[in-house]
Amino acid sequence: MTIDCTRCLLSLTVEAGLAAEQALLESICAGERDAAVLAWQPSDRALVMPLRYQRSARFPAVCKALHQQRWPIMFRLTGGEPVPQSPQVINVAMVRRCRLGEPGVDFEWAYLQMGSPWCAWLQAQGVAGADLGPVSAAYCDGRFNVRIQGRKLVGTAQRWRRVRHSSDMAVLVHGAMQFDGDPLDLVTVVNDFQAGIDAPRRFLAERHIALREAIPDFQPQAIGVLLASYPAAGVNSEFSRTSVPV
Amino acid sequence: MQIAIVIPVDLWEDDSEGVMTAWLFNSGDEVDEGDLLAEVMVEKAQYEIIAPSAGVLTIVKHEDEVVIKGAIIATLDA
Repeated sequence: MTIDCTRCLLSLTVEAGLAAEQALLESICAGERDAAVLAWQPSDRALVMPLRYQRSARFPAVCKALHQQRWPIMFRLTGGEPVPQSPQVINVAMVRRCRLGEPGVDFEWAYLQMGSPWCAWLQAQGVAGADLGPVSAAYCDGRFNVRIQGRKLVGTAQRWRRVRHSSDMAVLVHGAMQFDGDPLDLVTVVNDFQAGIDAPRRFLAERHIALREAIPDFQPQAIGVLLASYPAAGVNSEFSRTSVPV
Repeated sequence: MQIAIVIPVDLWEDDSEGVMTAWLFNSGDEVDEGDLLAEVMVEKAQYEIIAPSAGVLTIVKHEDEVVIKGAIIATLDA
C-alpha cells in the first residue's frame, strides 16, 4: 500500500517515536536523503529528557517513583529539559542536510524552518496571536516556542551531527504540541520530577495551552496540512504501517 | 603530538554561550577518530563533538561548564 506520507500521523510508542527520529537523523548522516519530516502521536506515555539528567544523585529514586506512576523516564537526542509525552501530544520531527558557515544557517534558521510554518498553519485555521518566543514559567522553555497569545503550545529543540565524510551537518528539529487535555496534567509530572531531583524551579499550567482550547474541534489527522507545508518529503510509512491517512 | 579539540566557530552564528552537557568518555580514555566525544548545548540545540583523530583524551571543559565558540574543550595525545 502506498501512503501519501506528508499527510499521515503515526501512532507510535514513545520509545519507537524517539527511535524513528534518531533513524531519520542517521539517514541524513548516511547520505540517504537530504530532508524529511515525520509526525507521530504517542500511544503510551513517558517523561522524556536529555541524558544529562541521569547525573543527578536523586535520579534513580525519582525514576522509580515516576515509573510507579506510569510515567517512565526516557532519553532523547535533542536539548532542553524534561517534556511529558502522552497520547495528548503530537510530535513533528524535521531533518535537513545543511552547511554551517553559509549565511543564515544556524540553530535560529532551523527553528524558523520548523516554527514559522506552524504559526502560519495556526493562523490559517483562525487562531489569533500565534508567534514564536519564550514563555516564562513554562516547562522546557526556549526562545522558539510556538505560542498562542503568549502561552506555550509547541516546544522545540534540536540535534546537530556531522554528515559522514563531509563538512555538511545534519540537523534534527523537533516540535511537541499538546493538543488535548488540561496542561496541568503534564505540568504536574514535570514539577514532580523537579521536586524529585531537588531542582528549585516549578512550572505553571496557565503558561501552557492545549490546541483544543483554541480549536475545539481539532482532529489529530489535521496535522497533515501542516506537514504538507514543510519543504521536506514525508517518510512516515518507513516507520509504521499504522499511520492514519488524512 | 597533541591535538586541541575546539568548539567549531561555525556551530552557531551569534555570540551565544553554550554549555557542556555531556562527555561520553573520561580523561585518560583512548578514543578513535570519529567517536562521539561530547555534547554542547546552546538554545536547546545539542551539537555533537566528534574526535578529529585517535588518541588519549584529556578533558579541559567539564560537564555544566559554559563554553564559547572557538574554546578548547579537550586535548588528544596521539
